[in-house]
Amino acid sequence: MTFRQFAFNNVLRNKRLYIAYFLSSMFTVMVFFTFAIFAFHPSFSSESINNNVLFGMTVAGGIIYVFSFFFILYSMSSFLQSRKKEFGLLMMLGASNGQIRLLVFLENVLIGFFATISGILAGLIFAKGILLIAENVLIISESLNFYFPTMAIVLTFISFIILFFCISVFVSFILRTKKLIDLIKGDKQSKGEPKASVILSVFAAFLLIAGYGIALYVKGIYVIYVMIPVILVVTLGTYLLFTQLSVYFIRKLKNNQSVFWRKTNMLLFSDLSFRMKDNARTFFMVAIISTVAFSAIGTLYGLQSYLTKEIKAVNPYTFMYKPWSDDTEEVIANDISKINAIFQEEQIEAKMEQLELNYFDTPIRYGDEPLRSNGVLIARASDYNRFAALIEEEELHPEENEAIVVEQSDAMLMMGTKASEKLKESTIQLDNGQVIQPGDVIESEVLSEIEGYYVVNDKVYELLGAPTRTQLSIAWEAIGAGHNQTVEAGRKLAEQLEFKVTSIDYTIYEINKAFGPILFIGLFIGIVFFVSAGSFLYFRLFTDLDEEKRKFRSIAKIGLTQSELKKVVSRQVALLFFLPIVVALIHGAVALTALSRLFDFNLIVESSIVLGSFALIQIIYFLIVRFFYVKQVKRSVL
Amino acid sequence: MLKISKVSKVYEGKVAHRALTEIDLEVDKGEFVAIMGPSGSGKTTLLNIISTNDIPTTGQVEIEGKNPHRLKKNALAKFRRNELGFIFQDFNLLHTLTVEENIVLPLTLEGTRVKEMKRKAHHIAESLGITQIMSKRTYEISGGQAQRVAIARAMIHEPKLLLADEPTGNLDSKASKDVMEMLVSINQKEKTSLLMVTHDPQAASYSDRVIFIRDGRLHSEIYRGENRQAFFQKIIDMLSLMGGDGNDFSSVRV
Repeated sequence: MTFRQFAFNNVLRNKRLYIAYFLSSMFTVMVFFTFAIFAFHPSFSSESINNNVLFGMTVAGGIIYVFSFFFILYSMSSFLQSRKKEFGLLMMLGASNGQIRLLVFLENVLIGFFATISGILAGLIFAKGILLIAENVLIISESLNFYFPTMAIVLTFISFIILFFCISVFVSFILRTKKLIDLIKGDKQSKGEPKASVILSVFAAFLLIAGYGIALYVKGIYVIYVMIPVILVVTLGTYLLFTQLSVYFIRKLKNNQSVFWRKTNMLLFSDLSFRMKDNARTFFMVAIISTVAFSAIGTLYGLQSYLTKEIKAVNPYTFMYKPWSDDTEEVIANDISKINAIFQEEQIEAKMEQLELNYFDTPIRYGDEPLRSNGVLIARASDYNRFAALIEEEELHPEENEAIVVEQSDAMLMMGTKASEKLKESTIQLDNGQVIQPGDVIESEVLSEIEGYYVVNDKVYELLGAPTRTQLSIAWEAIGAGHNQTVEAGRKLAEQLEFKVTSIDYTIYEINKAFGPILFIGLFIGIVFFVSAGSFLYFRLFTDLDEEKRKFRSIAKIGLTQSELKKVVSRQVALLFFLPIVVALIHGAVALTALSRLFDFNLIVESSIVLGSFALIQIIYFLIVRFFYVKQVKRSVL
Repeated sequence: MLKISKVSKVYEGKVAHRALTEIDLEVDKGEFVAIMGPSGSGKTTLLNIISTNDIPTTGQVEIEGKNPHRLKKNALAKFRRNELGFIFQDFNLLHTLTVEENIVLPLTLEGTRVKEMKRKAHHIAESLGITQIMSKRTYEISGGQAQRVAIARAMIHEPKLLLADEPTGNLDSKASKDVMEMLVSINQKEKTSLLMVTHDPQAASYSDRVIFIRDGRLHSEIYRGENRQAFFQKIIDMLSLMGGDGNDFSSVRV
């Protein structure tokens, strides 16, 4: 047996030991490869996707690559930690340092090679699945068909062979040789609880509270200014939370014997504190990575729904026609017949309402001045009600001496005073000398005027005099037409009557189309980060599996029931899985709240959907991992 | 107390191996029995069957009239931690726990009150002379101390039967002597039945009766008379009579 054969056999005949490391490496390759498939996808490289998106993809690819490096390095080093005893034994038998490094190097090259190959194979299957989802969920004009990604395969293969080679070299130097006795007894000795200082624990709590406080307090544009400092403060706070505050907490718990000595608690917490150093690091990384994933996806999803909601809010009708101010009646009649023709083509039935929007200047006084130079819209109550009936809004019935101020929902107006405030303070002077004070302020989308308007009684309207300017507005509300029909009609209308017709379904379709690839990349990166966090946890758990088995075997000899064993193991796994995720969820919630403050737009629904689905995935992941983990431990016990 | 009748154990495999053949054995309440025999004679298999860690292929094991092998898994675990105490050659202490925590572990699993546990742990630690090391971790104490901790753990719930597998196997002669004397005093004071598997004639000479096993069969048994020294000599004689290699036995320590 040559040394090389020994190294090979060591891996091949010891599969279970290496499988966790192998899987997480393979997984990383798979993620990168899947991403590469998209980056090199023919439909992305065509000119329909702009350069910014391509640049974004390259950056994202780079991030994944760097992240892969650290991930594999981390997996490798904790894998080596668990094999200290083996190295100790080898050294006792006379293996030199160089030989052990060579062994580790050869093993790594071997594992890396197979991980790359199988990662690419798994990636091909995974990509097919993702492409199917992408095609159905996101609107990307060219369909994303499956192709044989030669370029991606070559890139992935070369990148990861280089990466594994670098890590192999790197790792064989990490393996600093300690005293032989330390290596042999390595698995028995605690790496020690990190020291928990009260000051640092308080500091951790302070940092987190301060970070959250600032993030939740600021509004509007200031969110961007405080973003970087808050991220730094919260990151540091999270680190201290896991390394100090949690250690402090567990110490306190251990000292409280009525809790610590209760039934299986002792097994649970002693183990927790024993591995606190490793755990703290894992917790921290998982929490931060998951936070990035939550925030990235939440931001993109929030942004998209912000845009679509805004547009929907401003355009409540399926179709809206507003001619240019210099269009003759002939042009308008021509336009309308075109519109009707398109409706017929697409078999759309729509209710139509037509209205002259009249803007008045002179009767409205703001102090002594006219309120606006280009006039303020005043609508007749009956006109308003006709439009309101179209979208089933509430009707308005102003009294003769009253004007109702109507403004559109404040979503659109990030800054500055609300439209209603000026309107409310103004007065309307009628031809007969009567002065009308504006009354109630309501929010409604019935007529589209960003700056707000008055609705007055029909009788009063007659006394307003001549309007400064008028604007024709025609609205259609489609009845029972399918989404595809209205989108198609919208597309035709946009071609023939550009800018005069607003078609809400088509506009949103266009936004989604433009947003599709960006959302896709964001979603993908988010998922990658999240799944990587899961992979970290898995790795943490299975590195200690042998140690756990040994422990439970010795306890089982004294007498430990199956249900007690399950309870201890479940709680241990649950803590590992949910502690960092809960922290990440809170971080994510705060981040998304801050984001909604930036846009002054309510993101609660979006945040809950994003965070909730992540929590759900994590629960499912937990249940699966727990099942296998408990099974493994149980089997070793008897 | 303990009654074993016609217990056989066959290890299935490519080549089936018969480890025990029709063993009959009885241990009375408060009796201290040692089992000896050369390597591979089946001593540990027998102990594993009695300790319910292994199941016999045929035959019956009765502990106080109950057959533990008929119990369900969970009931068996409860039976083990209530009725039996274990002492292992490699101590089997959990290194994530302190000495005191290791000692009270069987009681915590049972859900005993903390005060009660404290009292019992303190009491037993005092009688075993390990009060000073109660807050230490297991890798900070010596082998002899570790075995005393293991004894404390095995005794804290006052089991009816104490099973010891080579309790002196990892200890030096002074520590062996201390441990054996402790076992004897526990045996006499608490009237705990004791069954011990050992290689060490010195350790075996502390027992009331030594049973010799060879090739999975009962070979013979000898009772202790008045004098431990004479008993020790008889054991040595029996071992040499049984044959086996001299290196099976640890060096004679007097």
